[in-house]
Amino acid sequence: MKLVASCKISNQGVFLNSKLVPNTKSTETNWKKELYTKTGVTYPKFYKMDALAKLAFLSYSYLDKALKTESYADNDIALLFANAASSKTTDLKYIESYKEKGSPSPSLFVYTLPNILTGELSILNKWYGENVFFIEEKFDPEFYLEQINFYFSKGAKGVLAGWVESNDTNEECFLFFVENNGNELTIEELTNLYKS
Amino acid sequence: MSIFITYGALITPLGNTTVENFNRMLKGDSGVSIIKDSGFNNEDWPLGMIKSIQDENRYNKLLSDLCHQLIKEHGKGLFEDEKTLVVVSSTKADINALPNDTFASTRKILNDQLGLKNKIIIISNACISGVLAINTAVDYLHTDKYDNVVVIGIDALSDFIVYGFQSLFALSNEPSKPFDKERKGICIGEAAGCVIVSKKRLNDSYAVNYLGGSSSNDANHISGPSRTGEGLFRSINKTLERSKVGKAEIDFISAHGTGTNYNDEMESIAFDRLGLNEVPLNSLKGYFGHTLGAAGVIEVISSMKMMEHNIVLKSIGFEEQGTSKRINVLKANLEQPTNIILKTASGFGGGNASLILKSVL
Amino acid sequence: MSDLRETLKEQIIEQLNLEDLTPADITNEGPLFGDDGLGLDSIDALEFIVLLESNYNIKIADPSEGKEIFHSVDSLAAYIEKNQ
Repeated sequence: MKLVASCKISNQGVFLNSKLVPNTKSTETNWKKELYTKTGVTYPKFYKMDALAKLAFLSYSYLDKALKTESYADNDIALLFANAASSKTTDLKYIESYKEKGSPSPSLFVYTLPNILTGELSILNKWYGENVFFIEEKFDPEFYLEQINFYFSKGAKGVLAGWVESNDTNEECFLFFVENNGNELTIEELTNLYKS
Repeated sequence: MSIFITYGALITPLGNTTVENFNRMLKGDSGVSIIKDSGFNNEDWPLGMIKSIQDENRYNKLLSDLCHQLIKEHGKGLFEDEKTLVVVSSTKADINALPNDTFASTRKILNDQLGLKNKIIIISNACISGVLAINTAVDYLHTDKYDNVVVIGIDALSDFIVYGFQSLFALSNEPSKPFDKERKGICIGEAAGCVIVSKKRLNDSYAVNYLGGSSSNDANHISGPSRTGEGLFRSINKTLERSKVGKAEIDFISAHGTGTNYNDEMESIAFDRLGLNEVPLNSLKGYFGHTLGAAGVIEVISSMKMMEHNIVLKSIGFEEQGTSKRINVLKANLEQPTNIILKTASGFGGGNASLILKSVL
Repeated sequence: MSDLRETLKEQIIEQLNLEDLTPADITNEGPLFGDDGLGLDSIDALEFIVLLESNYNIKIADPSEGKEIFHSVDSLAAYIEKNQ
């Protein structure tokens, strides 16, 4: 498989293909909103997304600049995502809504599933391909390569893969897009991309 | 390569074994009952509750009970084998563990009780998780690493889940009536089910072949289904193609059928677009409630039972067509040769998944 | 009168978990729902029903009226003023 592009975001900034995009590091708690205004994209649904969906959306907005997804049919791209904390941040907010704020919040409840972000990406791009969300203990490059190969063997032409995490100590999203042709992306390369 | 699926175990409000469950299903029994004070404002919602579970941590108890049942029925050897992989499907797992890791107990209980040698694969993809888990199991079998994949689908009742669906006005105040004119919504249930997916026939017990499966996103809305059933339509087409099965060969459809206005309507549209209007069909949600992460697995087990006995079960709660497109929802059990079954699932996040099973000849 | 609108904006942000928005980001007359607005949908409409009930003691008789009432901050404010 060939790596087309990767993007990692956190409050340390946006690293597109391992290079820091200028002016994207932020110490603010609303760093995600700041990043949204910098993407140049207008997508009002951003504001109602939960942490995971916002991370995936923002990261994709940057990654998209390095991709040519129009050349794919709407069935061709599969989504592969994972994290360790599931939808913990939103789960806790939702619990607070009924334990402390008076009634269970439907707009929070619909985000208490980690795979919702794959729905958001599919809606954004009108992609009808295969999706799956796994719960893993940590980012495992070998696992990702294995799953991507499963998708390729079943006919996907491209895979958008991601590790999207939001927990007590950390918020980050690492996305990468691979095509079913060309040089082999190795476990080592993928590990380095994630760490950069 | 042929893929075989055999029974693992099944714990639902209808019983603790696959046989016990199916005997009660044949009689038309439902595991859904009114549970007092289950709502946010102490409403009495009908739920599929396993009454024998009294523990505060329902999920951990249910998973532990499943492990006991698995060892009782299969022995420990299969699980301790290096070439056995476990794939788990659950939407909320041990939700009571928050703010700690809600999936930690899943790994601990399975590792401790089953003596597993490989990393446990966990899928959390809303209500299509069970079907996805079986499809993923088959992917793994196409590598040389594993001979058997144990697929477990499990979710337990919790305030978290019940209050959430209540806030969406998605709960029915009476047992759900999938596809029916008077349907009012879902009844949440809890269950744990397990199937064993293998490269070779595991033993002499009943087995089916898995022919193919797929998933597809609606690309429409994060919680409401597509009005044109696009994702489900595409998934079924892809599954038929991968299975090399023609639509006319399908003997029965085990649909998702949650009992909400939107979901059931969407499914009827998708089935209609595919010309599957006459195929006998049911939703199993009336027997167990909507068991979320367990649904795909326990409904595949139920479908296997139907194939084993050549009888397809009625769709509990259905009396009169309530969808704009006509589909053949069964009002009574039907004895018929049942060799090929299509199983479908749809869920939050715009997910749709399907798979096809065939009798072993 | 403008106080009600400002208060409403804060309540909308709180009730709908739009934590990255400030009242300055919401106009009085702009649509709240759909892609031309804040991208709110039928699930968010349920939150508006809760907002009216818990903050203003107003129960909406017919939820299908919601679309008109919740169209914008102006229409919501007008409805509250009419029904208090």
